[in-house]
Amino acid sequence: MHELAIVSGIVDAVTERSGGDRVVRVVIEVGRLTAVLPDALRFCFEVVAQGTTAEGASLDILETDGEMLRVREMEVA
Amino acid sequence: MCAVCGCSDDHHHHDPHPPHDHPPHDHGPHSQVHPAEGRARSIVAIEQDILAKNDRLAGDNRRWLLERQVFAVNFVSSPGAGKTTLLERTIRDLGGRLPIAVIEGDQATDRDARRIRAAGARAVQINTGAGCHLDAAMVARAIGDIEPVRASLLAIENVGNLVCPALFDLGERLKVVVASVTEGDDKPIKYPAMFRASDVAVLNKIDLLPYVEFDVAAFTERVREINGRARVFVLSATRGDGLTDFYSWLSAQVAGQATAALEAKVTGAGLA
Repeated sequence: MHELAIVSGIVDAVTERSGGDRVVRVVIEVGRLTAVLPDALRFCFEVVAQGTTAEGASLDILETDGEMLRVREMEVA
Repeated sequence: MCAVCGCSDDHHHHDPHPPHDHPPHDHGPHSQVHPAEGRARSIVAIEQDILAKNDRLAGDNRRWLLERQVFAVNFVSSPGAGKTTLLERTIRDLGGRLPIAVIEGDQATDRDARRIRAAGARAVQINTGAGCHLDAAMVARAIGDIEPVRASLLAIENVGNLVCPALFDLGERLKVVVASVTEGDDKPIKYPAMFRASDVAVLNKIDLLPYVEFDVAAFTERVREINGRARVFVLSATRGDGLTDFYSWLSAQVAGQATAALEAKVTGAGLA
């Protein structure tokens, strides 16, 4: 369940910067060596984002080499 | 409002469709203005490490510990590899010379903390409940509870799990992964993230080698394959084989911490 902690990090990162705008899409980079499951991230993201400005946003996951775990960008409306 | 893309109903969407059956479609350039709302969609670059918050707290822990010359070691392993037994033995053998405090992480119960106290060291138990790892915030609270003394060893026994704890910096100086001969000599290549993240690999329970199929040389080779800088100790925490080397190394590390703290003070530079 470390995906839950990771997703909390993602939601914090985008909601802190959204300034009240609605977040419609979030793009993250997940390294293949991090042992983080993209499907579990998507599931957790939906739950954690509820009640925040990122509720209902889509989560684009770019799998990269290495151990990176980064929020790259978001789309707001 | 469209449930999938969030845009208002009256712009150029596809033909009426069931709300939950929304085919992939192109919204055009992201800067396009949605006529109904008159609001632009825009891309905001974030470029932030997802674990930045944990890493920040871990950095605070690391600085706090360094200032007090407390050498923190994060012990990780699968459940049952012998982390607690190794710590109990270390406390009994070194506790007289080296002050040791232990933060115990488990999903439930305070059994390990009681074992550590019975061995003669101070211990704080963290129960993570559903959580699979310790994080820097939990450790910060536990450090406040346990108040490690100056020039001491703080052992943090993580939740038994060879996957998740690899990702979470706690503010430790070193990560020690403990494996045991009952687990199979291929663990380093099956759980590479943990062996890559660790500074030291301990192979425990070698007193059981006559009864299990385990190739110590192959294990060591696989650790090196994954992590060339990792130091390997081969020992038995119950029978005592190999503990002298482990203790010499550990004592030297704690002594080195005092030097590092002094150097940091002199140069005015904290550790990252």
